[in-house]
Amino acid sequence: MPVAASAIYFLNLRGDVLINRTYRDDVGGNMVDAFRTHIMQTKELGNCPVRQIGGCSFVYMRISNVYIVIVASSNANVACGFKFVVEAVALFKSYFGGAFDEDAIRNNFVLIYELLDEIMDFGYPQNLSPEILKLYITQEGVRSPFSSKPKDKPIPNATLQVTGAVGWRREGLSYKKNEVFLDIVESVNLLMSSKGNVLRCDVTGKVLMKCFLSGMPDLKLGLNDKIGLEKESEMKSRPAKSGKTIELDDVTFHQCVNLTRFNSEKTVSFVPPDGEFELMKYRITEGVNLPFRVLPTINELGRTRMEVNVKVKSVFGAKMFALGVVVKIPVPKQTAKTNFQVTTGRAKYNPSIDCLVWKIRKFPGQTESTLSAEIELISTMGEKKSWTRPPIQMEFQVPMFTASGLRVWFLKVWEKSGYNTVEWVRYITKAGSYEIRC
Amino acid sequence: MPPPAASSRYPSPSQPSGKSEVTDLKSQLRQLAGSRAPGVDDSKRDLFKKVISYMTIGIDVSSVFGEMVMCSATSDIVLKKMCYLYVGNYAKGNPDLSLLTINFLQRDCKDEDPMIRGLALRSLCSLRVPNLVEYLLGPLGSGLKDNNSYVRTIAVTGVLKLYHISASTCIDAEFPATLKSLMLHDSDAQVVANCLAALQEIWSLEASHSEEACREKESLLSKPLIYYFLNRYSYLKGRSKFQYGGVCFCRIKEFNEWAQCLILELAVKYVPSDSNDIFDIMNLLEDRLQHANGAVVLATVKVFLQLTLSMTDVHQQVYERIKSPLLTLVSSGSPEQSYAILSHLHLLVVRAPFIFASDYKHFYCQYNEPSYVKKLKLEMLTAIANESNTYEIVTELCEYAANVDIEIARESIRAVGKIALQQYDVNAIVDRLLQFLEMEKDYVTAETLVLVKDLLRKHPQWSHDCISVVGGISSKNIQEPKAKAALIWMLGEYAQDMSDAPYILENLIENWEEEHSAEVRLHLLTAAMKCFFKRAPETQKALGIALAAGIADFHQDVHDRALFYYRVLQYDVHVAERVVSPPQQAVSAFADTQSSEIKDRIFDEFNSLSVIYQKPSYIFTDKEHRGPFEFSDELGSTSITPEVSSDIVPAQQFEANDKDLLLSTDEKDDNKGLSSNNGSAYTAPYESSNISSQMQELAISGPAASATTTQSSFDFDDLLGLGLSTAPAPTPSPPLLKLNARAALDPRAFQQKWRQLPISLSQEYSVNPQGIAALTVPQSLIKHMQSHSIHCIASGGQSPNFKFFFFAQKEAEPLDYLTECIINSSSAKAQIKVKADEQSTSQAFATVFETALSKFGMP
Repeated sequence: MPVAASAIYFLNLRGDVLINRTYRDDVGGNMVDAFRTHIMQTKELGNCPVRQIGGCSFVYMRISNVYIVIVASSNANVACGFKFVVEAVALFKSYFGGAFDEDAIRNNFVLIYELLDEIMDFGYPQNLSPEILKLYITQEGVRSPFSSKPKDKPIPNATLQVTGAVGWRREGLSYKKNEVFLDIVESVNLLMSSKGNVLRCDVTGKVLMKCFLSGMPDLKLGLNDKIGLEKESEMKSRPAKSGKTIELDDVTFHQCVNLTRFNSEKTVSFVPPDGEFELMKYRITEGVNLPFRVLPTINELGRTRMEVNVKVKSVFGAKMFALGVVVKIPVPKQTAKTNFQVTTGRAKYNPSIDCLVWKIRKFPGQTESTLSAEIELISTMGEKKSWTRPPIQMEFQVPMFTASGLRVWFLKVWEKSGYNTVEWVRYITKAGSYEIRC
Repeated sequence: MPPPAASSRYPSPSQPSGKSEVTDLKSQLRQLAGSRAPGVDDSKRDLFKKVISYMTIGIDVSSVFGEMVMCSATSDIVLKKMCYLYVGNYAKGNPDLSLLTINFLQRDCKDEDPMIRGLALRSLCSLRVPNLVEYLLGPLGSGLKDNNSYVRTIAVTGVLKLYHISASTCIDAEFPATLKSLMLHDSDAQVVANCLAALQEIWSLEASHSEEACREKESLLSKPLIYYFLNRYSYLKGRSKFQYGGVCFCRIKEFNEWAQCLILELAVKYVPSDSNDIFDIMNLLEDRLQHANGAVVLATVKVFLQLTLSMTDVHQQVYERIKSPLLTLVSSGSPEQSYAILSHLHLLVVRAPFIFASDYKHFYCQYNEPSYVKKLKLEMLTAIANESNTYEIVTELCEYAANVDIEIARESIRAVGKIALQQYDVNAIVDRLLQFLEMEKDYVTAETLVLVKDLLRKHPQWSHDCISVVGGISSKNIQEPKAKAALIWMLGEYAQDMSDAPYILENLIENWEEEHSAEVRLHLLTAAMKCFFKRAPETQKALGIALAAGIADFHQDVHDRALFYYRVLQYDVHVAERVVSPPQQAVSAFADTQSSEIKDRIFDEFNSLSVIYQKPSYIFTDKEHRGPFEFSDELGSTSITPEVSSDIVPAQQFEANDKDLLLSTDEKDDNKGLSSNNGSAYTAPYESSNISSQMQELAISGPAASATTTQSSFDFDDLLGLGLSTAPAPTPSPPLLKLNARAALDPRAFQQKWRQLPISLSQEYSVNPQGIAALTVPQSLIKHMQSHSIHCIASGGQSPNFKFFFFAQKEAEPLDYLTECIINSSSAKAQIKVKADEQSTSQAFATVFETALSKFGMP
């Protein structure tokens, strides 16, 4: 039985209940105490997000300063439980306008009770789509379909939407200016050994869209990925376009994408939800263009001195530039004094994270910059414990660059009224976990 | 249900104490109740909000129930919702008052606004007051026929709620049949999904006592129905099909992602008729693997895996197909979600390691990942290591050995060790392990020593390389018992190769008193013996000291082992050598911790908690398995809180009780064991000087110990005899004991008695093979014993160790017999401890118990 939850609790970091909802009677009311005494007040807290205490399973997540705990007494579907929590939080956020934390819960508890009632019934998740819920559960709770019946939208329509049809889009939207914004956001994960070998490298990308389109438009997106292009050339019986094609390891789509058509014609076609949404996610492991190379050398000179030399090279096009580059170079805990020079940017020793933090606001392509530092250590008495060198970590954003090389080939909008649309496409590559061992 | 008593537990200065505020609220509400002035809704809303917020922080506001109901006459939907919420929370505790609410809820169920109809119906069904079910039937019946789908979805779940309050009412009203027809004909996807969920639950609960329900449950898995659900949603893939859409679905809608999970879960149980059937379903579902919701993907994966179980090569292809979507899910989403997915991947990796062998890089740990994710990844790396990737994986694992998180560092060293034990070519790994020893970190050295020991047990040919490095380690730096034991084992086993082994051992033995771990002391004894046989002159003195200290040791096992060695040496030194230090034998494979049957069971329960816990669901969901702690928990939740403070931590208290209960019995056993030893025939010489002098004698004149032969062989027989005796010597048969077949004892009373009474009898029986065969799950024995009027109060454990607590009552007299019974199914032994109100009849009870047990498994 894929029951996701018998009860759901929202706790603050001290363990006080902010809000709770019991969906089924098969868990006792004192379950939250069990959670507090056996998980929150022990070391277990960070150890595992699923725990069993006295026949009940606790599936919990921490989101900002709130613990969300799902209690289930049956053999529940965990993946479903976590996804439900994530979706519920996204829903709450869209109601509160951004933040989800203890204060937001305290200030909106009536609203949350209302939502908790709608999104799950007797342990079965119902409808979590903000688009639909917002039709009949209103922000302030002031606008009631009942009291304002005469002028507001007809109610049957609202409740029809509750369970329904193209669940993600309302009929009858209208915009003066029809615009589509498409962002390809990639994050590069890298793990490089101290010898400069790439141990692991992949890109997880998202296609984010923001649509302000009237009516019920059909959109079609073409990318320079391998499968799509091959299919196209095959269909039009002409040789494939020369140039780089990208092989996507795996793609997942928003529920609006017609998957049958994707599988048969390899085109991404969809009726978009209104406003912002994540159209697709993909993963690439082959042929990743790393935007930065980092070459560290660290010499431990005796017990009390160290020399650190880090060279960072940007390897993307010379016309582009990276923003917000941060390089965190770990140093031992017993660092006493640091001296360093940098060719660009500014560096600082941050003792709370035991790192030299080197920031470069703007880093043009095809250039390099270095940091050289001399570190003095407090000599520790007694046993000699060699320093476990954590990896160098890097943060950056490179606009108009994709590490995968993915590009939008075309984005077509078709609506029966035949209006013109303006399409905006952006690319950005960010650092995911960009680690270089030294 | 009482609200959580959070506030009383964590009193915070800012929170109101409650009483006066509640009275205040009460009078204010009363004023507003009759008022029809404009703006009254706003002030009501503020008051309601206050009530709800008190309720949330755990202040008991049930005293304003009447006023809340009076104020409920409003057209404001938000007010209504708050009122419903309040009523739902307190109705169960105040069944009389909730009668008041029936009226207005029923009226709202007929409201013209579908929102209000739906909300009222949901609240009505959520009251959960058994004596009000008659009021539910009407609104539910009309709710199911409502022309608005929102109301119908709520009514369908309402039927399920009614079933849980009163199953018979629900069945008598023939609601299941109505749901079935709704499921097949309703135009709204959510209604259909909820029908399916409700029917699955109702019929599977009914199935145990109704054949019809059983048939209905089977019919859910029929081919047409499965295709109805699956096709339905394949039809609904998009608008393109809208034009030619099936005739049967005039309003085409898609099930939402959660409903899809439900349907996929149903499809898993479907038994396809032939291979075409299987491929049809897989083709229908293939695109589900691209869904953004991880739960849908996992559910689809489960369908694929289960469908193809019988087709080996397709099954392998399925693994290839699902690999990529799962790996994507791991790298996206929160760490908790990755953990859930990783647990499933782990299960698959263990089943088909070669398929994932080339993807090992996905399981490299990132520096900032939480340790629970890292641990799983380490396990996966261990599982998929083979000839082609071992080098890379081991190199990577070695990096983690220097990790700041010590627990992860240890795990990764263990992982290296496990890989070494799996592989034939261990050459490179041995070097790596030995490098760990050079890191000079206590915990790294400790873990490595344990591994080197295991490695040498399997591959003794590496002893030369290892021993030279191990010999260089100073035993002073090793504090952890396991590591120390490993080092000592190596010192004993390879004494001839390590020049200073006897002296290191001597050093350790001299500090016997400071050695707190019994395990280490046991190893010291054995190592001293082994060393003695190899290098007698150097070890003799140390062995003498060790045996003397061992015999005087307060720990039972250490004492026994020392005594045993002493006697064997006394009997014949050559025999002793054959016993203690025979030629080395390599261990070919270490025992697997989990049986393949259990692994298959977990695999059948893919996409559930079983996978996370790595045990099949019956172990953690069945009541019988939960043990005494669980009972206490139920007691805690049913008692309605007159004294709050004691209600809060019953679970913990009981657990503590349980622990000291077990502890106390153990201690008693120990004492008993010791005292019986003192009184036994073979009193060993206790004075240490005496022993060491005897030892010297012994070492010089090896076989000259014949004098004691007869004595010790008699002891030996005695020892064996104890182990083999299947039944206790028949004492003059006591009068037959009759037990009360309907005895009752509540768990709490049981625990109390168990604590108070002394053990009147403790015995070991052997269980016949049929019994062991029948004992796959504890329930079988529980049922069997019940037929002999011996009732189970708690049970637990899994193969091979089961533990039961039984009780029985003497016929016509309120005298209880409490029994703890531990059965080891691999050794076919049952140990029982009996505690009785009337000590004199406990032997009689034990006989009854044994007879009952001996019949277990017999037809």
